[in-house]
Amino acid sequence: MEKPRLSRRRFLLGSGAVLGVAAGPRAARAQARRGHIIAGLSERMLTLDPANHYSISSTSVLRHVYDPLLDVTNDDKFVPALAESWKPVNNTTWRFTLRKGVRFHDGTPFTADSVLFTLKRVRDNTKLIKSFVYQDLEDVRKDDDYTVTVTTKRPFGSLPAHLTMLGMLPPGAAGNEDAFFGKPVGTGPFRFVSWTHGDHVDLEANAKYWKPALPKVEKLTVRFIPELSTRAAALRAAEIHVIDRVWPDMVSTLRATPGIKVLDTPAVEAQRWHFQLAREAGKDPRIRKAVSLAIDRNTIIKELLLGYARPVVSPIPPGLIGHTNLGQKPYDPDKARAILKQAGYQTLTLDFVLMKDLYPKQLEIAQAVAAMLSEVGIKVSIRNLEIATAREQRTAGNYDLFFSGWAHMPHDPDWYFGQWFTRAGAEKLTRFSDPRVEQLIAEGRVPDPKVRQQKYEEIEKILWEEEPEIWPYYSVAIYAISDKLRNFEARRDYYVLLHEVGIA
Amino acid sequence: MSRLLRQPMIVAGGVLLVAVIVASAAAPWLVAADPIKPVFGQRLQPPRGLGGAAGHPLGTDNLGRDILARLLYGGRISLVLAASAVALAAGAGVVIGLAAGLVGGRLDALVMRLADVQLAFPVIMLAIAIVAVVGTSPAALVSVLALSGWVLYARTVRAAVLTIRRLDYVEAARTLGAGDLRVVAVHILPNTLAPILVLGSSQFATMVLLESGLSFLGLGLQPPQPSWGLMLAEGRDYLSNAWWLATVPGIAISLVVLGANLLGDGLRDLLDPRLRQ
Amino acid sequence: MRSYLVTRIWQSAVTLVGVSILVFVILRVVPGDPAKMLLPEGAPQSAVDELNRHLGLREPLWVQYGIFLRSVVRGDFGQSFQYRSPALRVVVERVPATIQLALTAMALTVLVGVSIGIVAAVRQGSAYDYAGTVLAVLGQSLPNFWLGIMLMLLFGVTLRWLPTSGFHGWQSLVLPSVTLAAFPTALVARLTRSSLLEILGQEYIRTGRAKGLGEPRVVLRHALKNATIPLLTVLGLQIGTLLGGAVITESIFAWPGMGKLVVDAIFFRDFPVVQTILILSATIFVVINLLVDLLYTVIDPRIRYG
Repeated sequence: MEKPRLSRRRFLLGSGAVLGVAAGPRAARAQARRGHIIAGLSERMLTLDPANHYSISSTSVLRHVYDPLLDVTNDDKFVPALAESWKPVNNTTWRFTLRKGVRFHDGTPFTADSVLFTLKRVRDNTKLIKSFVYQDLEDVRKDDDYTVTVTTKRPFGSLPAHLTMLGMLPPGAAGNEDAFFGKPVGTGPFRFVSWTHGDHVDLEANAKYWKPALPKVEKLTVRFIPELSTRAAALRAAEIHVIDRVWPDMVSTLRATPGIKVLDTPAVEAQRWHFQLAREAGKDPRIRKAVSLAIDRNTIIKELLLGYARPVVSPIPPGLIGHTNLGQKPYDPDKARAILKQAGYQTLTLDFVLMKDLYPKQLEIAQAVAAMLSEVGIKVSIRNLEIATAREQRTAGNYDLFFSGWAHMPHDPDWYFGQWFTRAGAEKLTRFSDPRVEQLIAEGRVPDPKVRQQKYEEIEKILWEEEPEIWPYYSVAIYAISDKLRNFEARRDYYVLLHEVGIA
Repeated sequence: MSRLLRQPMIVAGGVLLVAVIVASAAAPWLVAADPIKPVFGQRLQPPRGLGGAAGHPLGTDNLGRDILARLLYGGRISLVLAASAVALAAGAGVVIGLAAGLVGGRLDALVMRLADVQLAFPVIMLAIAIVAVVGTSPAALVSVLALSGWVLYARTVRAAVLTIRRLDYVEAARTLGAGDLRVVAVHILPNTLAPILVLGSSQFATMVLLESGLSFLGLGLQPPQPSWGLMLAEGRDYLSNAWWLATVPGIAISLVVLGANLLGDGLRDLLDPRLRQ
Repeated sequence: MRSYLVTRIWQSAVTLVGVSILVFVILRVVPGDPAKMLLPEGAPQSAVDELNRHLGLREPLWVQYGIFLRSVVRGDFGQSFQYRSPALRVVVERVPATIQLALTAMALTVLVGVSIGIVAAVRQGSAYDYAGTVLAVLGQSLPNFWLGIMLMLLFGVTLRWLPTSGFHGWQSLVLPSVTLAAFPTALVARLTRSSLLEILGQEYIRTGRAKGLGEPRVVLRHALKNATIPLLTVLGLQIGTLLGGAVITESIFAWPGMGKLVVDAIFFRDFPVVQTILILSATIFVVINLLVDLLYTVIDPRIRYG
């Protein structure tokens, strides 16, 4: 019995190949898909579970394996992925219409059940890292196989944005998740092949991907190379095709190498150094003002970041909902000195805490700031600490100024405001508390973009005036690629997405 | 003294080390440039012979600061830290190794298993633990550095003692009534000196590097304070476009290691009871 | 001898239990919160508490240790916090790369280091001796990252003879092992030289020479054998360093080894991975040093253990 069946299958496979060659467009498509792209990312992927991380590199890699309901474009528009359309029914209800004819890599169809499973899992399994964001989900209902209604406990205007980061899972994963994530299946453009923790991931093209003619390559390997010198060297030696997180000083070296292109784009990230508002220095608005006036942001941008940063005109970077132009903060050391003198401060020491190796050139910038502040009579003591320790210090309130940045991960500022400018969010961080701001943040959670824009502008005006944080610059994302890559897009959110990229 | 000066290695090593120490100690009188204040617009200038400006013989760093000034000021801290760490590690290691080798039995077992335990722990883990218990201070840093180094000496000395203690002349000295301390001082220590001097003089560089590696624990130094270790660390990201940032402090460390090696080898020859004859 | 061995094995077991308690306590006493490392910056405190509860970190210390011991006996070292897969799997994945690098570097160290040391000692004061000294000084003082990046730029980028980084095939092993071996090679070369010089001056070697034994035979047969004790000690210690301490070399060459893993795990407060690696490496240390102590008696019969 066994033997004839085997040979018949082989026959069918063979004839399929022959038919494939005969059929014109299909053959062209099969031919278009070729090559092997190797990417070198700065950050390790932590998990294969799309609900169990908030890491940018994991989001990048897993976007190739799983599709979310929505995607976000590089100009911050939300576009259909597995959801064909979505709309708010009222302030606490969203309705999603799903794409038909999509299948997971194991052949099971994608339906409303997948959405129900994925969303209820992330809400109910509080072990998952993303769970806390989805606690506001009241219910997820299946209207029919391709329509899902989500009700929320309070207005959740940023839900579509959050869903761009949540890959959809097959309901079959329920109950045996360990086994499932050992060999996960999604609906994405690539199938999972293998993963060596902290080293590399291998993926292969999903020939039946629902977007026509994608992906463009047969194989995709993502290597994790945290050391910038090594990433750059591997690219220059043509061992890999694309690297992320290039530092400004490396740009000229890379540009000088034949076969390499450097691309940059303003990131959806603002640097923000927050004050400890319960300690003497941070509590006094005059000191915050003086510090802000004493920092020469343009020199930092021009001299240290070599122009790879943008001046800040509001806490929210351009492109996101809520961005507005409040004008650049002035550099005026004389005024800073006068304010301090008037306030009666003779000697003032600021404790400036950094998280080791987290932001490009942070130690240089911190030293430059220390020198600038010493010009107006403020002594800065820099403490560059291991990340876990630095965070403990922040929780304990043992700092005056904390070096940090905020990448607006789901392309929406609600999270930033909610964590840093509500009492509940900030109590273990900056100790920020302002009932007006709290009220505006709650009002800005509705789905209506016009209302949100208006509320956020009001919040930003208050923050701009009070300066609970210093916003020194908007970051610029720099990538370097082999000139063999076709159609690569330098993303504003630091994602490295390669399913529409080809290789010569 | 005259015998000492007849040893060319000792003289060369000594002169080298003294020169580095004096130059560091006299930093404020030797260089006018500020080692801490950034000078924007003068970043990453190469050393003078390689197209740099006249004012900066060894070039400038990533914040436009004079590298020579940072090198000399940094030497003050790095030399003291590394030298005290090596001395402490060697001192403790030798005493422990001697005790383990001579007394043997339970003490030996205890000490050597302790060494096993400690070696299994990465230095960073030890350092984090020490910081958690005693906080951050220069003394804590030196003890972390010494703690990372003592085992090497202890095991080496112990092995030497195990070999030597049964040699005829040591046994003879004992039967002639020489006390333990005398046996140690006259017969055993001189015989273990060779490996100790070699290890000690080579550990210096390791200590400087470790010092920079630990700065993020709040141990060691925080920028903008210059130290050789921090200079190396800051230069690391610039190796492909401004190699001198990390290379200059690297050369300084090499010079000190060279001086220590020459001195160590020379002293060994001088003190070796057999070569003396 | 047998009773010595039995004692040592018993001691080793006690040592390992000691290590496990020590690691366990240190990790939980030092500042730093695993849940905060996993959650994004600024996640609410309620989420932090909830996650720590799931990670089992809100139990009393002795309960946690009891649970840990019970699972370890069953071969379960817990789930890695950062990777959310079994800690033992995360660690074992790194074993091949770690051992290949350590053994290659060790072989280089012994071959090159001892050769340089012998030549320098036999031709003391010659140009070879000075060249050896210069090499040794460089090896001892060049920072690993400096040497590594320079080798990578030269052989990987400019000449393209060897891959810059990663773990695939013997070619990718060359640059990391040379980088890693530089320091121990220099140390071994100097130790060999100084031990040989000392022994070459001793009575019985002089006697051997007087009896007309040829120079190479004297050196190899007698002197080198007696120089092995300090060498063996240092090599025994270096094996440990090469296995777990190659942090900088591993990160420069993106080498998937254990040294980088343990340091990352410490920074991430990934307790299960740190515990697994430290217990493994403590076992290796105990075994290696036991072997070294036994080898002493083989090489130098004067050493006996009561």
